[in-house]
Amino acid sequence: MNRITVPIGPQHPLLKEPMAFQLTVEGESVIESTLRLGYVHRGIERLCQERTYVQNIHLVERVCGICSHVHTTTYCQGVEALLGLEVPLRGLYLRTLLCELERIHSHLLWLGVLARNIGFDTIFMYAWRDREIVLDIMEDLSGGRVSHAVNVIGGVRIDLTEEHRDTILSQLDLLDKQVAHLLGIVEHERSLKARTQNIGHLSLEDVRRYCVVGPVARASGLNVDLRRDRPPPPYDRLTFTVPVHEDGDVWARTWVRMRETVESVRLCRQILTLLPDGPVAARARRRVPAGEVISRSEAPRGEVIYYIRSDGSDIPARVKIRTPTLTSLITLPTQLEGVNMADVSVVLAGVDLCIACADR
Amino acid sequence: MRCLESIAYLFPRIWRTLARGPQTVAYPLSPIDLPAGYRGRVHIRAELCRGCGLCVRDCPAFGLELEREDRETFRLIYHPDRCAYCGQCEESCNFGAIYLDNDFVHGTFNREALIEVLVDRKRTNK
Repeated sequence: MNRITVPIGPQHPLLKEPMAFQLTVEGESVIESTLRLGYVHRGIERLCQERTYVQNIHLVERVCGICSHVHTTTYCQGVEALLGLEVPLRGLYLRTLLCELERIHSHLLWLGVLARNIGFDTIFMYAWRDREIVLDIMEDLSGGRVSHAVNVIGGVRIDLTEEHRDTILSQLDLLDKQVAHLLGIVEHERSLKARTQNIGHLSLEDVRRYCVVGPVARASGLNVDLRRDRPPPPYDRLTFTVPVHEDGDVWARTWVRMRETVESVRLCRQILTLLPDGPVAARARRRVPAGEVISRSEAPRGEVIYYIRSDGSDIPARVKIRTPTLTSLITLPTQLEGVNMADVSVVLAGVDLCIACADR
Repeated sequence: MRCLESIAYLFPRIWRTLARGPQTVAYPLSPIDLPAGYRGRVHIRAELCRGCGLCVRDCPAFGLELEREDRETFRLIYHPDRCAYCGQCEESCNFGAIYLDNDFVHGTFNREALIEVLVDRKRTNK
């Protein structure tokens, strides 16, 4: 049978961000695929070496448009460690609240994208409608829907009144119901299962080989979650479960992400209930003592790592960012092998690509 | 059973959606409901500004500019076309001089027209 090469991207309706695939197809099956990245490289890491630690907070927020807060959190965590600064507990709780809201927002957005790619527009509408609840909460908290600009070195710059807390709790009640309904759809809807089960399979060995993190790894049976394994405060005071599935296909990833969303709503409620009194930020010095640090956080797509080196000035000597999408991306040729051409869109959606994150 | 559940889920929502009316507002004829912490245009309480330049130093988008002649004579210039509306200037100001308001309408054909001199302080001879 003749082999033909099908290019997907850099601009393609399947892709929300620019990247390029070359698929070698025999009949309807994908035989081989190659990947090309770098279309949205903005040189953020290099730019970090030109700006002060304070200016860099807003720069690293632009690494990703969905998990912007977790990037600033990881960056600030690293700088605070270099400074030897103790962040007030209330500040940490509010930071974590935004992180968990962002996880809900990211997973619901992803569910919508997956549904859109498989042609199931009803779920797309439901998921994005429910995502608006989270965006409203975040906008009320920070003033922005996507770029929150909440973190400062030493804590956060927002605070919460009692009335505001009650409003968020009532919004979370509504979100709880909607997310439970979406989870029900994922678990029972036959057409969704037919399009996502046994597709884009990734074995536990492959996950270990490629160092995959986050929901993609957990859907293949790797039980890792930084929030539980090395809990930064206040995760050590909160109770939650880490959903793990053994199947390793796109449906398992959908299930893991939706279960995580349920857990995140639960975490938000716990954070709001246990929110301690006190200041939200500690005052930080501008010059950071010489040294180096590795800061890690569990972003919606997995573990994000920041390496920061200081030479004692107010400008970092080096900032290196490792985003979770990079590890998921390199598994795509393995996942696409033998896949039917019509299922390529499902596989691409299944890994939850964030190209802007990977390219930086 | 699932079918009945779906109908029970769907119909009240359809009814509510129909009864609710449009979600959009007739902007600019009616005002937009913005959250309290919305970050809009940068303003200043000029009498509180001491021209220390901390806001200029911390601005990630280089949206503020300080022209200084001496300790008492300086001009603080705001470039909304560069502004990222992050609120870092408000956070950095030690004197509570800078604040952001809810104004976000900056449409213009002339970029230069947006530039605003926030503080124009001249030496006062005593």
